[in-house]
Amino acid sequence: MAETTRSIDPKLLEMLVCPLTKAQLRYDAAAQELISEEANLAYPIRDGIPIMLVDEARPLDRPAPAAT
Amino acid sequence: MVLLMNDQPSLDTAASAAPVTARTDFGFREVPVAEKKKLVRGVFDSVAGKYDIMNDLMSVGIHRLWKDTLIAQLRPRAGEHLLDVAGGTGDIAFRFLNAAEKRGSQEGAPAHVTVCDINHAMLTVGRDRAIDRGILRGVEWVCGDAEQLPVPSGSVDCYTIAFGLRNVTDIDQALREARRVLRPGGRFMCLEFSRVALPILEKPYDFYSFEVLPRLGQWVAGDAESYRYLAESIRRFPPQDELVERMLASRLERARYRNLTGGVAAIHTGWRL
Repeated sequence: MAETTRSIDPKLLEMLVCPLTKAQLRYDAAAQELISEEANLAYPIRDGIPIMLVDEARPLDRPAPAAT
Repeated sequence: MVLLMNDQPSLDTAASAAPVTARTDFGFREVPVAEKKKLVRGVFDSVAGKYDIMNDLMSVGIHRLWKDTLIAQLRPRAGEHLLDVAGGTGDIAFRFLNAAEKRGSQEGAPAHVTVCDINHAMLTVGRDRAIDRGILRGVEWVCGDAEQLPVPSGSVDCYTIAFGLRNVTDIDQALREARRVLRPGGRFMCLEFSRVALPILEKPYDFYSFEVLPRLGQWVAGDAESYRYLAESIRRFPPQDELVERMLASRLERARYRNLTGGVAAIHTGWRL
């Protein structure tokens, strides 16, 4: 799906932190997620836009929803 | 739109499950604090596609002048980094980039904007508009919460929030977050509907807000309830002087405001010193 593979600007990545811990994030390009190790959360990137909302993040110990 | 203003079942359930839940305003209703965010997002999901047209109708086009005034006061410069919160459709971002470009760039990086909005639908509207206008650089779109910004401390030169602060559940927390992300010497600016300071405007303004506006919302966006919420939320927002006090309490210094159109809107400014 073209929409989910839209890559995000590396500059944007530098400007983002985890909203909970304010720590830096790791970009998982394959999963289209931004990982906050400290908070144990993965923030999804939807349609090229990072969703930096704690209540929409996936706990890292829960498997990612199957790709559609 | 499934935003019910009376006897909303989901709210009743939430309230009975947690009877001691703190409550906050949602327009003129009281709702549990945890619910407001969801309800506000519902409003903007519902209106996203027609938000700008509705703003024109709501303010008789004046919101454009108010936004121009905000940018004129901000005087954007090349190299500056703006964080525009609740700016989903890009109105402030595009004006900022234009103004920065017009003032000419010296050497160094051009100005850039991070647009942060809690609503994904509003952001996609803004990004599509940027593409339509050929703006491909200098702006990034991020979904985030004004109370919990995904932005490093001391990282931005200016913070703007236009017609967004009154939709935030905890205004003081949003003000503290604004201060956190500003670099020392950085400026905070809030454009928001405010208290009419001209008595002659009061009655027509009330009539317009509560009688005309919801009908316009129904007619243009098929959604009277969301626009009724907008009108109500304006009246619940702290008046000019109270907002100044709350900015100072959040250590946004030299806080002041200027009224626009007789106080229908106001621009508040403060600094992180």
